[in-house]
Amino acid sequence: MAASDPPPQEEPNESPVRDEGADDAPPPRAHASGAAPRDNGRRKALGALVVVGSSAYGAALAVPALGYLRVPAGGAGGERWIRVARFEALPEATPTRAPVIGDERDAFTVSRGQMLGSVWLTRRGGAVTALSAECPHLGCAVDVGGDGKSFGCPCHTSRFSLEGKPESGPSPRAMDALGARVVEGWVEVDFRRYRQGVADKVTIG
Amino acid sequence: MKALDWLDERTGYRELVRVALDEPVPGGARWAYVLGSALTLSFVTQAVTGILLMTAYQPSATTAWSSVMYISTQMSWGWLVRGLHHYGAQAMVILLAMHLGQTAIYGAYKKPREMNWLLGLGLMGLTLGFALTGYLLPWDQKGYWATKVATNIAGTIPAVGPFTQRMLVGGSEYGHLTLTRFYTLHVGVLPAALVLLLAAHVALFRKHGVTPSEQADVKHVERFYPRQLGKDLFVGLVILVAIFVLTLRSHGAHLDAPADPASDYPARPEWYFVSLFEALKHVPGRLEWLVAAGLPVVAGGYLVALPFLDKKPSRALRGRLLLLAPLVAMLLGAVVLTVMSFQSDARDESFLKARQLAETRAARALELARAGVPPAGPLAMMASDPETRGPELFDRHCAACHRLGKEHGPADGKDSAPDLAGFGSEAWVLAVIDDPDAPRLFGKTPFKGMMPSFTRAPKDPAEAEYFTKMKDADQKAVAAFLTAQARGESGAGSPGEKIVKRACTTCHRLDGKTDDEESLAPELRGWASPAWIRAQIENPGSGKTYPKGALDKKLEGHMPAFGEQLSAQEMDLLTRWLAAKVGKVPW
Repeated sequence: MAASDPPPQEEPNESPVRDEGADDAPPPRAHASGAAPRDNGRRKALGALVVVGSSAYGAALAVPALGYLRVPAGGAGGERWIRVARFEALPEATPTRAPVIGDERDAFTVSRGQMLGSVWLTRRGGAVTALSAECPHLGCAVDVGGDGKSFGCPCHTSRFSLEGKPESGPSPRAMDALGARVVEGWVEVDFRRYRQGVADKVTIG
Repeated sequence: MKALDWLDERTGYRELVRVALDEPVPGGARWAYVLGSALTLSFVTQAVTGILLMTAYQPSATTAWSSVMYISTQMSWGWLVRGLHHYGAQAMVILLAMHLGQTAIYGAYKKPREMNWLLGLGLMGLTLGFALTGYLLPWDQKGYWATKVATNIAGTIPAVGPFTQRMLVGGSEYGHLTLTRFYTLHVGVLPAALVLLLAAHVALFRKHGVTPSEQADVKHVERFYPRQLGKDLFVGLVILVAIFVLTLRSHGAHLDAPADPASDYPARPEWYFVSLFEALKHVPGRLEWLVAAGLPVVAGGYLVALPFLDKKPSRALRGRLLLLAPLVAMLLGAVVLTVMSFQSDARDESFLKARQLAETRAARALELARAGVPPAGPLAMMASDPETRGPELFDRHCAACHRLGKEHGPADGKDSAPDLAGFGSEAWVLAVIDDPDAPRLFGKTPFKGMMPSFTRAPKDPAEAEYFTKMKDADQKAVAAFLTAQARGESGAGSPGEKIVKRACTTCHRLDGKTDDEESLAPELRGWASPAWIRAQIENPGSGKTYPKGALDKKLEGHMPAFGEQLSAQEMDLLTRWLAAKVGKVPW
């Protein structure tokens, strides 16, 4: 075997192509004399073609990849009225937490009767107001403080009045008020979610 | 040797090994040079344990928690592999900080090693990316909420934020696609990027060589093998032993309760991000991104700029103190904020309470999961568990009026319905016979004054004249009959039943029969049994417990019917929990 192989040290010379890539390398000896300018133009054109070609190759993969991964911003989303509590069960002027139960769609699965979240309901006379229990800061669940006089978030200690106005902590806006109405003795809430951490109330999903 | 000669002739591997091992180490082998190798070895540990975890892990919202639970509790040595991966990750973060700090102090970023410093920073970014993506994968409460907060922060960055957030989360809701995306990053994209950058980092390190320590005698040059390699391996081994010890001591990594988007959870990040978390509490929300995303960018920008600001060839520390000051300030700031955060949590009672609840749920979830998780996922498993749902439903719907033990009930003095401790027990029955209008019983309900005491004479002298105290033996007999009802036994023909028929059905119902149809006294057959409790929750005026009149509007403050507010499953769960719980809390 070894005897029939060419001496290894000769191999580099047999592939002059290798040197052509390096800009500062002198042109290979075999091409050094004669029509250098014309060849240079040709090489430049070919080089440009290589750049264009490889960019096109990259783009042909990157564009579908990005298209596949991107998630278009959902529209504002239609109204979604969900029954959450009996009106008469709500105490006067005391925020009461009500679970929001509905069907939850997660990509390829759907779960019936899931807890989607919860809302804080406050009855004042014949009217009811609803506040999303999701902290408008970064989305943790807001609870009523031990003294019952304010709402508090367990994550970054934002506090809100019982009307949902920010009192202290980092929250950029008031708790999100949701549409609420009483139908046939039931409190119905227009359940939606809003972008967190921003001053404006922007619907998502 | 013939075979190896053959191989060498075709691959030249001996030369490769020689180059790898004969790297010159100016000044000789030093313990100070081990950190880079230790990091690389830690990465190997992470790769091996990570690939093992991949053989059992399933990324989806319904299976992720269950598969991690299975790895941690059922698979042979699963707890060990997951524990090593968990603590190995922490070790990498610590080693990374040390490596970075040492490089900065040594001035090893200076010309001609600027590019390698930058590659190192890139590797640091990737490692933190591993930490952030890996934290979510168990899909437990802490991973879910920490990730929700982290991606929400990303979403607040102007212009690119919302797009980035949707891209990472795979939509606006957190679910299957969030997991598959984080998983892809964690096991595919980040490892590939890390291997590429690491190869370049090591190659450049080889090109420029080690930055000799100040004390090193540079004229004396040693080879990498064997002394330096030995030192590197030794330190790598010590770290491996350390993560084994941590794993053995805690029996693997902790697994929180399954992610529940509708729950209350005090989200906290992993300890090395706690300083950023604490900083967030102290800035107004609209400047959030400035801190959460901006601070790391500023810190990163400073680190990137460091070799270009510090161009003097001298590596003496004295001349560079000012330039290194921000690094020291960052480190000190991080330490101070971290300590502040842990201190404020340790003092925060509502946090400790929430943490306690989270631990209880986690333990319960693992207990339930031992019997297997249904295909609908661990949340469905938790949702059909009376132990979990019962107290929640009680607190939400019952505890504003009823008290049950220390944990459940209204604020002191606000009780407006009977205390349910020991409901259905002899003590409870005897207490009602003795003083039904006691504040703990019906004294604060609209039913006050409807039932007389059988042991105390009425205050009105005219009525008191006809009063005879019920004999102790009779009281006991009635109690025995009623507790039998609570247990679901008929007690037919018992002495207690006879007394009840004689003394109680003047007002109360027994099998629907009563002497006084106008009376609001409840049915005693099956009293306090699960079926009775269930009927009472659904509708206290159905006749199965109390008659229709018990729901009269004039009786302000009577118990409402929950049949419309609660689903049948919720009423069943509440009943099952309540029927068992009342027996455990004595009157």
